Amino acid sequence: MTSPIEDAAATQSHLDEQSERPKRGPFDGLARRWDHLERWQQWGVLALVAALVYLLPVLNPPLITSEPSNDFPITCANMAIYALAALGLNAVVGQAGLLDLGYIGFFAVGAYVTALWTSTDSTFVKIPYLWTLPLAMIVTVFFGIILGLPTLRLRGDYLAIVTLGFGEIIRLLATIIPALRGQVGFQNVGAPPGTKSDGNPVFANSSGTPWYWLTVTIIILLMVLLGNIERSRAGRAWIAIREDEDAAEIMGVPTFKFKLWAFAIGAALGGLSGALFGGLNGFVNNQKFDVQTSMLFLAAVVLGGAGNKFGAVIGGALVAYLPLRFTGLAEYKFLIFGVILVVLMIFRPQGLFGARNHLLTYASRARRWLGEKTSGSGATAVPATEESSS
Amino acid sequence: MALLEVDNISVHYGRIQAIHDMSLTVEEGEVVSLIGANGAGKTTTMRTLAGLLNLSAGKITFDGEDISRTKGHIRVVKGISLTPEGRGIFPAMTVMENLDMGAYALKDKSQMAADFDRVFDLFPRMKERRKQLGGTLSGGEQQMLAIGRALMAHPKVLLLDEPSMGLAPQFIRQIFSIIRQVNEQGTTVLLVEQNANQALATAHRAYVLETGRITHSGTGKELLANPAIKEAYLGAA
Repeated sequence: MTSPIEDAAATQSHLDEQSERPKRGPFDGLARRWDHLERWQQWGVLALVAALVYLLPVLNPPLITSEPSNDFPITCANMAIYALAALGLNAVVGQAGLLDLGYIGFFAVGAYVTALWTSTDSTFVKIPYLWTLPLAMIVTVFFGIILGLPTLRLRGDYLAIVTLGFGEIIRLLATIIPALRGQVGFQNVGAPPGTKSDGNPVFANSSGTPWYWLTVTIIILLMVLLGNIERSRAGRAWIAIREDEDAAEIMGVPTFKFKLWAFAIGAALGGLSGALFGGLNGFVNNQKFDVQTSMLFLAAVVLGGAGNKFGAVIGGALVAYLPLRFTGLAEYKFLIFGVILVVLMIFRPQGLFGARNHLLTYASRARRWLGEKTSGSGATAVPATEESSS
Repeated sequence: MALLEVDNISVHYGRIQAIHDMSLTVEEGEVVSLIGANGAGKTTTMRTLAGLLNLSAGKITFDGEDISRTKGHIRVVKGISLTPEGRGIFPAMTVMENLDMGAYALKDKSQMAADFDRVFDLFPRMKERRKQLGGTLSGGEQQMLAIGRALMAHPKVLLLDEPSMGLAPQFIRQIFSIIRQVNEQGTTVLLVEQNANQALATAHRAYVLETGRITHSGTGKELLANPAIKEAYLGAA
């Protein structure tokens, strides 16, 4: 056989045999153990975690609670909404690798859709609040495509600048356009229906728990959906685009189409979270949709580990939670997040959880090949070539 | 009719013209080399053929079909695969995952096990390294992977952009022997090289590119013997 090839390759190689995926840190160990669990065990663990997550505002655990300074169920609801936004931004930044600095724009559009169609201050036709959730998604997807069609041909830094501009444009439009009522804003934004036995609405602005439950349920459904997309050809296409866009194109990945898809999905989730945010607060004006909040969303995704939806959700929840829990430090939240991110980038650049590019797990043919070849014949073939080359 | 016909194409980067009225043909079963100095437009030509850059004038015909406006991801399906300059492998994917991406464009994946075997026959080193991340491979191994990945798509023509770049001399010879082997197995090859000696010796025919224009063409042997080319590209006075 052509042993000189082996020989030459050996001289070129400065790497040892066992340098496979770098794995370190407690979360990686957790991930590995997770991978070794049976399917039913995974579901069992998930059910337990889900139960704990749902009970969080009711349990109101000491030390963790944000009271007395902030009502804990409201804090939880805010955490869930930020987590949902981070989940959407993760599809854009983490999955497809598109740096979007104007994500708050979609969040704002979602909040305004809800306000315009439910608030008593709006002159629009009123529709039930729950209908505004899909409507907010449709409208933001429309905005996403309008923004994406011309800008997704841009690369890296340019895309970041244009999206940054988009976020600001939306905020300024909310200030300038009279119908959007600027700082005065919209009072009495709607809520889902239902009244308690005492006659008060279930989804009151003062009770965070139902809002939290609603948002968490939406997050879980979306995570299942996004998980399925990630395991499909689209997921592989996104990872390839993130790694090397030109290479992805010449592999046959319609890069523009998939970038637009990622952008649209991100926009939809941003709009949905904005609509929930509007409903929770019962009030929407132009003050909450600044660049800093865009940066917070981005920090959430990076903190959790870009490309890992579970990490993004945790990151989003943390970014909302920390300033509400430690109100004394809330003023310095950007300083603190900045320091955390710098430290994180030094010691764990992949984020708390990190992306897992388990392409192979999904590429069934490759796995089948490995299964056939490694369980016997492959193991003996490799040392033979090693011998001939030495 | 030639497999690949490039007819008077021009390519611009903004207002700068990188390729001037270039024409070349690649017949089925050939190895054709395109040699030239840095900045002559070799990589621009390859990226244009792969559909990563747009034509500003001219026409590209492949397999009897006008593909001048066809997007890159469609050209792979039609049978044009590029091994880009600098290899362009996916660094955070394993060798197997990279190869699997190579077959992304294939509709019929029933042959895939055989395809993996074919790549591993050509590059036994890849089989050993199959679970290793692409980014941790050495330069030569990455080049092997890039060629192997391109072959996974069953190309009719393989575009190789500077496969010898940055490799040890001993290893360069091996890459060229692989190129001949791939060609003997029935894949047409268009090869861009600065390493003119090896490229001309390997090619059936070759073109010389200078500042975006074809200045010479002929069989590999003719160009090797041409005194002007010897002086300019082969380092012999």
